[in-house]
Amino acid sequence: MSAAAKNSAAYWRIAGMSYLKYANACGEVVRQSLKEPFLTQAKARETVYYKMTKYAEGKAGQSVITEVLPK
Amino acid sequence: MSTNAMRRNAALAVRCAMREGARGTMMTPKSTTAPRAGTMVNASEGVPANVRTVSLQAVAIRMRSVGNIQKITKAMKMVAASRLKGAQTKCEKSRALVNPFVRLLGDTPGTETDSTLVVPISSDKGLCGGINTAVVKYSTVLNAMSPGARINVVGDKARAQLNRLYPDRINNVVVDTTKQPLTFGTASAIADEIMAQNAPKTQLVFNRFASAISFKPTVATVLSSEELEKAAEEGVNEFDSYEIEGPDRSEFLLDLSEFKMGALLYNAMLENNTSELGSRMQSMENSSKNASDMLQKLTLLYNRTRQAAITTELIEIISGASSLESKE
Repeated sequence: MSAAAKNSAAYWRIAGMSYLKYANACGEVVRQSLKEPFLTQAKARETVYYKMTKYAEGKAGQSVITEVLPK
Repeated sequence: MSTNAMRRNAALAVRCAMREGARGTMMTPKSTTAPRAGTMVNASEGVPANVRTVSLQAVAIRMRSVGNIQKITKAMKMVAASRLKGAQTKCEKSRALVNPFVRLLGDTPGTETDSTLVVPISSDKGLCGGINTAVVKYSTVLNAMSPGARINVVGDKARAQLNRLYPDRINNVVVDTTKQPLTFGTASAIADEIMAQNAPKTQLVFNRFASAISFKPTVATVLSSEELEKAAEEGVNEFDSYEIEGPDRSEFLLDLSEFKMGALLYNAMLENNTSELGSRMQSMENSSKNASDMLQKLTLLYNRTRQAAITTELIEIISGASSLESKE
């Protein structure tokens, strides 16, 4: 964490969130306030899917799949 | 199937059939009268009688496989073309997210920092022309320009190439980002992973989509908040000319830097995905065209051989008949 993040007074920074996490959390709340049929359409945009492999000294480590499906 | 394997199969088929043909000539004397069979064998100078049908068979097999490949490439082209429109709209919309950042903070690829993180963005699947090679080439240049640079690869194709070039520089590999339609959520999750590596300068390399036939390899630079602050003090960007309410400058720049990373990565991944579809469409069209050219040549060869065979058979029949006539 950078110095600016440590000195920040924003409550979400203190909770250890990055700006993007905070922005996405806000987006989720806004989407939740929609009515049908727009809710289902917007909900699809909450999907997160990717597979990450960390490399150390040229060797691939364990692959981790991150998957967040809209509730 | 590779061309080598195809050639090998064809050669094998010819050899098998030749053996059969040889057996065929040995059997002819039994079915026909002895003196005539003798003259026929002498006339063909030991060439098996069935050799013509054999080469016809080999050509027919080849034609069928070329035809099947053409069907596949045509289908791939159609799929890419139908997905291109939607991808293009999404990608062009995402540019609106990036442009304000470039206006406010500028794009400064030449900033000198202690270390650099290069993020080549490529596709997971192949058969899409040279877009992944272009990304790898640009990443190689960036690596040469900033010694000790680390690499965070997005997409399987650049991983395969860069792993060979710089096996010990790769930090992270992210794949399967387009398995589900790409969302800002996915891009920001990956951006968080990239920022967790604390590089003062991060450079994204991707193919910017210009049109369905042209893609521009592009380098986009994201600086950390410390570097942005330095740049603001030196007047490289115009951040200080704005009057801003809210948190103090360092915190504001931190938020901006993080948001810029997310927005740029989202845009870069969409641009590259759109370029991939366009490039695939183009290269599949080319290979369909090549396949139909090849098919045309093979059809010509096939028909010519068939006609030659028919002509020779006719000549044989006529000469046989005339020899009979002359005997009578």
